[in-house]
Amino acid sequence: MTTAPGAGLGLKPQHYAEAISESAAGAWFEVHPENYMCDGGPRHAALAAVRERHPLSLHGVGLSLAGDEPPDEAQLARLRHLVDRYEPCLVSEHLAWSRRRGAYNPDLLPFPRTSAALARVAEHIDRTQEALGRRILIENPSLYVALDGHDLSETEFLIDLCRSTGCGLLLDVNNVYVSANNLGYVAETYIDAIPASLIGEIHLAGHAPDATLGHDLLIDTHGASVDEAVWDLYRHLITRIGARPTLIERDDNVPAYADLAAERHAASIILTGVREAVLVNA
Amino acid sequence: MSTREERTFFDAFDAAVAGDVAALSPWLKQPAPGFSVYRNTIASGSVGALAATFTTVQLMTGEEWFRAAAREFSRAHPPVDPALLRYGETFPDWLANFPPAADTPYLAGIAHLDWLWWQSWSAADATALDGVALARLTAESLGSVKLDLHPAVRTASFETGIPSLWLAHQAPLSGEPHLLSDAPERILFTRPGLHVQSHLVDAATFAFLDALQRGSSILVAAEGALVADPTCSLPDILAGGIALGLFSSITPIPDPSR
Repeated sequence: MTTAPGAGLGLKPQHYAEAISESAAGAWFEVHPENYMCDGGPRHAALAAVRERHPLSLHGVGLSLAGDEPPDEAQLARLRHLVDRYEPCLVSEHLAWSRRRGAYNPDLLPFPRTSAALARVAEHIDRTQEALGRRILIENPSLYVALDGHDLSETEFLIDLCRSTGCGLLLDVNNVYVSANNLGYVAETYIDAIPASLIGEIHLAGHAPDATLGHDLLIDTHGASVDEAVWDLYRHLITRIGARPTLIERDDNVPAYADLAAERHAASIILTGVREAVLVNA
Repeated sequence: MSTREERTFFDAFDAAVAGDVAALSPWLKQPAPGFSVYRNTIASGSVGALAATFTTVQLMTGEEWFRAAAREFSRAHPPVDPALLRYGETFPDWLANFPPAADTPYLAGIAHLDWLWWQSWSAADATALDGVALARLTAESLGSVKLDLHPAVRTASFETGIPSLWLAHQAPLSGEPHLLSDAPERILFTRPGLHVQSHLVDAATFAFLDALQRGSSILVAAEGALVADPTCSLPDILAGGIALGLFSSITPIPDPSR
């Protein structure tokens, strides 16, 4: 059955077989393209089998779009190769940096949102969209320190990027919740500030309190099920903007596939409810 | 705010990641205990990538020792490529000179074999050559054609029994303690389908594959095999290679005089 992407799951190697045989309406899968930047072998064979049956999204972590250096051309070429091979329904990256002077930090790092940074990140997104021959979505990061020197709020920065480059947004509701908690702003206000037309995908994931600081510092671990407060924000968002492809992310403490499928189903029910409400109101 | 000042930010952040957390203070509104989240994530990302590749090293050293060594390596040699499955090529050589590994001098060799297994696992797919194509070759042509190895073939040669030691740890539940032998050994990795296979090979087969890897003709490779073991049989080596799917194609050599 081919349906529009509804609720999807981050694809873990230990779940390849279950993903291939998944038959839920609207199911789709997402991977980090960096994990498939090898020439061949079992990993590509499994991804090809998943892609044969389901829509696939490529969610990059390595382009360093907010860095002070342009995106690496070799990395863009490898990404383009994967885009051509797997024909993903969505391609996304982060509003963060990770690469500088030949070293790669495996993380999504913050930066001062200055006007100069806005122009620079827009150039990097333009170059990426040109190299890939398609539009990408940009994800809001989880933040752990309050930097000084911002000229724009994060929502202003993201909206300006969309207007100047034509990119869309991947709104990670858990990241909004975590950053709002850590930096002391209101998550709902943040979410309400994003125009519906810019949002092309939503992420949901679990977080955990820091071992020392507790709930003053929440960490975006992707290591637990989605928090009830994040589900509430998600319902609030979806009620306003309508259904969007929604992904359950899990990268640590990965449970049995059935547990992730149950969370996927919960998101699917919320999405279906919104679709029906739209029909009733029409 | 000018670009020059922004560059100061990135320099300060790099310095803070490297340990000088005070470098970032001009960019912080207040003390930021959350900065450690970034440092921890960066370290665990690099260490996790090495742990995924060097599984036998970790099995032999224990997780705690391995993670401490991997963390030290990643500080000195951070990843350069966001495709972390390519990270760690220099880890085996680094381990060879890592003082805490001085008591276990075989560890660098074990790491090298983990790396070769990983390279074989992620190499390009290719159809293996069957015996029919090889049987069509005439004796006169052997000096002017080469056998291209399957992209997943990797070989290594050791002065001691490190390959057997590595193999003994691939099925650790067998429980047999394994002692390092003094006899030289050679190992071959290949992946004819989706599963990597590892085999000990004799000196003649190793010399033959090694010559092919360097682009030599079948004739030159066979001469190398005979030097390694004058009693070896070329038909046996070729039949063994076909059975393991080691060859992918037969290519004429433009200048056979090489």
